[in-house]
Amino acid sequence: MSKMADYEGPILEIDRLSISFFTRLREIPAVMDFSVRVMPGEAVGLVGESGCGKSTVALGVMQDLGKNGKVVGGSIKFKGRDLSEMSEEELRDVRGNEIAMIYQEPMASLNPAMKIGKQLMEVPMIHEGVSKEEAYSRALEVVTDVRLPDPERMLNSYPHQLSGGQQQRIVIAMALMSKPALLILDEPTTALDVTVEAAVVELVKDLGKKYGTSMLFISHNLGLVLETCDRLCVMYSGEAVERGSIEDVFDDMQHPYTQALFRSIPLPGADKNARPLVAIPGNFPLPHERPPGCNFGPRCDYFEEGRCDAQDIPMVNVHGFERHSTRCLKSEEIDWNAPITVGEQKEKAPIGEVVLKMDNLKKYYEVAANALFGGGETKVVKANETLSFEAHESETLAIVGESGCGKSTFAKVLMGLETATEGKILLDGGEIQDTAIQARDTKTVADVQMVFQNPFDTLNPSMTVGRQIMRALEIFGIGENEAGRRKRMLELLDLVKLPRAFADRMPRQLSGGQKQRVGIARAFAGGARIVVADEPVSALDVSVQAAVTDLLMEIQREEKTTLLFISHDLSIVRYLSDRVMVMYLGHVVEMGTTDQVFSPPYHPYTEALLSAVPIADTSVEKEHIVLEGDIPSAMNPPPGCPFQTRCRWKSEVPGGLCEKEVPPVRMLEGEHQVKCHLADDILARMTPVIKIAAE
Amino acid sequence: MEPLTWTGSFGSIIDPVFQLVGLLFIVAVAAQFIGAYVFAPINDEVHVDGTITRDRGANAIIGTAVRSLLLALCALAAIYIVAGVFAPIGKVGIIGAVAKQFAPVWIALVATFLLSISYKRRLGLYGKLFDSTVGMIGYALLMFWVYTALFVGVFDMIAVNDPLTQLSGMKNKLPGTPLRSVEEGQYAYYLLGGDNLARDVFSRMVHGSVVVILIAPLATLFAFMVGITLGLPAGYLGGKLDTFLSFLANLVLAFPVILLFYLLVTPEIVATGIPNYMAMILFVFPIIFFAVLLNSRFYTRPHLRNPLLAGVMLVMIWTYLCAISAEGTVINILPPTLDLFDIDSGILVVFVSVVFVNSPTVFRIVRGLVLDIHTRDYVAAAQTRGEGKWYIMLWEMLPNARGPLIVDFCLRIGYTTILLGTLGFFGLGLESESPNWGNTINDGRKLLAIYPHPALVPALSLLSLVLGLNLLADGLREESLRD
Repeated sequence: MSKMADYEGPILEIDRLSISFFTRLREIPAVMDFSVRVMPGEAVGLVGESGCGKSTVALGVMQDLGKNGKVVGGSIKFKGRDLSEMSEEELRDVRGNEIAMIYQEPMASLNPAMKIGKQLMEVPMIHEGVSKEEAYSRALEVVTDVRLPDPERMLNSYPHQLSGGQQQRIVIAMALMSKPALLILDEPTTALDVTVEAAVVELVKDLGKKYGTSMLFISHNLGLVLETCDRLCVMYSGEAVERGSIEDVFDDMQHPYTQALFRSIPLPGADKNARPLVAIPGNFPLPHERPPGCNFGPRCDYFEEGRCDAQDIPMVNVHGFERHSTRCLKSEEIDWNAPITVGEQKEKAPIGEVVLKMDNLKKYYEVAANALFGGGETKVVKANETLSFEAHESETLAIVGESGCGKSTFAKVLMGLETATEGKILLDGGEIQDTAIQARDTKTVADVQMVFQNPFDTLNPSMTVGRQIMRALEIFGIGENEAGRRKRMLELLDLVKLPRAFADRMPRQLSGGQKQRVGIARAFAGGARIVVADEPVSALDVSVQAAVTDLLMEIQREEKTTLLFISHDLSIVRYLSDRVMVMYLGHVVEMGTTDQVFSPPYHPYTEALLSAVPIADTSVEKEHIVLEGDIPSAMNPPPGCPFQTRCRWKSEVPGGLCEKEVPPVRMLEGEHQVKCHLADDILARMTPVIKIAAE
Repeated sequence: MEPLTWTGSFGSIIDPVFQLVGLLFIVAVAAQFIGAYVFAPINDEVHVDGTITRDRGANAIIGTAVRSLLLALCALAAIYIVAGVFAPIGKVGIIGAVAKQFAPVWIALVATFLLSISYKRRLGLYGKLFDSTVGMIGYALLMFWVYTALFVGVFDMIAVNDPLTQLSGMKNKLPGTPLRSVEEGQYAYYLLGGDNLARDVFSRMVHGSVVVILIAPLATLFAFMVGITLGLPAGYLGGKLDTFLSFLANLVLAFPVILLFYLLVTPEIVATGIPNYMAMILFVFPIIFFAVLLNSRFYTRPHLRNPLLAGVMLVMIWTYLCAISAEGTVINILPPTLDLFDIDSGILVVFVSVVFVNSPTVFRIVRGLVLDIHTRDYVAAAQTRGEGKWYIMLWEMLPNARGPLIVDFCLRIGYTTILLGTLGFFGLGLESESPNWGNTINDGRKLLAIYPHPALVPALSLLSLVLGLNLLADGLREESLRD
């Protein structure tokens, strides 16, 4: 089967597309009046929060809306042909052959029972009917192109034998097998770690250039879109609200939502006092409860009654720009360069006494090689290696690292779900490292609490919100009776700024951000003094992230809480933390105040992490560091320095010391400590990774 | 007296219509099947204003025809029933007379459906059931037998003769045969014929439903109690306990079920008291379950916990002692003045065997669900606030495993019903003259070639009940997955 004839003009042209889903109760419009054009070789980003309809657009292009979904208006033209007029056979030809799609979860796109090579070879064999040999050589070529080591071994392995990053590269390779004209990437890196994400993004960018493929890049991350795309389309609640080139939209935004979105994300280059986060007030409207007129109206600072909610707002071109349009009636009246009105700045509570002290904490797991009969040799997984630090009252200590670095194990040991192998944890001077949670007294348990990552998992779905908070109060022995606890529960809801009516709601009736607030209220039920926040905002939408972050900091100010903030997002870490601890494979590789960690000299891993974070600011210049390979398994760590397999500075250390010895902890100026063999003069030579270009 | 025909004088008008509609329906279904290959598929077109037009191809016309013919068939069937209920006996024949006997069931069914449908948005998962046709059909079939058992067992309605009385001259008589000599107050016909011992097939059938509806859900409930109480710790705590319990479950599952039953009901084995000891063990589980359930939830509030737990435990333990203790068996611990009821030894054996073979399967399902839910953050949250193990298992995990468990419960009642039939068929447990469906099918089997009706009637009843339960489970599964 051959490709469609070459076509001059846009590869993909979506014109006033409307898509609805039909449930038993009502029609739910998911996408309304959406238009976008993708020219040959162009990469267009589709940005928006979850539920804004960006994935629905992608499914619409694939004509795969399920039996509930229907295109109710407009057209999708691919190379000039309307996809809705194609027959099933023609569509099958187009999918995979002309349009390829890459999904968020790589494992879900690969057949676990089939070898990689066979899966790749299928694509040209089905679509083009080429011979087995040719298909194999093509597969080999593509796998080499996606920069996987040892391509022949890769082709001969099953998906589960590869790491997440390698799997996603294979998915990309599969999508490129048929040299499609259009590649749709639906959050392709969300499930990956930052350093791996950076490598995959770079790969996608290069391949796009090499193959001349047009791309539709769907993401919630503005920074990623900035790095990958030429043009950008911002969506809100089913509509495109602003469309234009990356530079136009980032630097001369013309829609209040775009502006609000930018103001709600922290930029690692910016100072938190000069540029505070501004959360978007209110909540994302449900698809069947959209307001009349402008969908963003109720949350917009520039809302004008009787005008913005009077009629449907059309998409209009912005004067003075080429191909830049916005869905705002007031775009020409608003002064887009007006400075952010900074709200009342509250003084941070002074940092107090040491509350928590970790001394040489180690946590090893023994894994039996043969689980069934318990025989064979046992392997030791060193999840935490000599962890030492102090945390003070009212301090935010950020723990940064990618998956497998041991931060969750550390949290477990601190909470008492596991006991330490060696070393000490001192809470107010008392040792708690060997006391499991059942053996701890109520006060200790109530003092150390946790806020969890996944808002959809953190609350028990079959209990009302109020009941769950009251249960925590009950366990912590707060309140004389039911009435007393109910009163306290309502106060806690006030504390996290939720309406009191939510007490009787079920968790499914709450949005992600609201659930996370309930989780915070529950953690503070017993007056917690140390709160471990395990990526509390990473699963939330950007506009909600700012609000939840602010809430956490505000509670911290009032309650003088010690916050251990576990995250991989360096932007937010820089925004809220006092001190930062960077972990890699169970080791603390760098620790110091935020300013010390974010400026040179860096540990080589910190340097790479900083470089990997996508930053949504066109004025920021980053040094480009891409780490090779994946994080080694904690079961089988490399000898010597844990980071030596991926370190770009390794050659600067004489005598192969990195491969032989674990580096000692070195004290630099202040309390800044680094675990690295690099000599002082080399550390001093390091330059800042993030530079802000002079305006 | 004349024997009744199937539809009586009423049928002479309506039967031809029914046959014609039925024939047309079969033709239409065949046409639909072929048409799907021959004609163009149906397309829905959505307009800008939100309306949808469906095109009028050949397939659309055939589809409409099938639907309306099916509706017509249902309407005709309803006419038979309504006419039967209101016309005098004999006017609408056997069908009419049977429909008349079931009159209280119809009324109860209609009332249930009217109430449920009008409040369906407020009834949670039960209400959603009424959005699914399959679920509604299943529910109707199930409730038909539940109401039948209720009216027969409690109010002694519906059945026309005693299920055990033999009347002379009625041996192997066909449906609709009148009695030889009708006494005062006696029903004049054997509506669905007589069996080989001259007993009324219709009455035995409706009486049989009582046995099934009583034992099947209760036995399933007990199996769930055992399975949940053991499956939760096995999945949550893991380790040696899990290995041991899983091995035990595999052992029970690996043993041939029928052989196990034969062993359990052998008089020698019964004499040793093994079924009684098994009952003693199996019936403890609900007590453990509720004791742990209440204690783990309310231990922080002793003022509430103490009276609550004491009250519940008193009632449960007394019931337990009444249930296991019976005169003449190995376990006779309760003095007769306190022993409120005795369980018939045959029923006890059946009950115990059914619970015993069902609980390992439930155990495995619960264990699997727990392993899945174990990784959720809300479980970790409960752990980090120092909750007890049993609170986490029973209050944090179990409610969130309810969806699959409810579906399995419905399916399992179906299996249990079949199991009861099988047991009866082999004459295990219940006395041979008991009207339960398994026994009657076995009785009727001997003369199946000449007189099929004594076996066919209970067989169809069993089929409809199990079908109903399976459809209900399907409907529940589908509806719980939607939205």
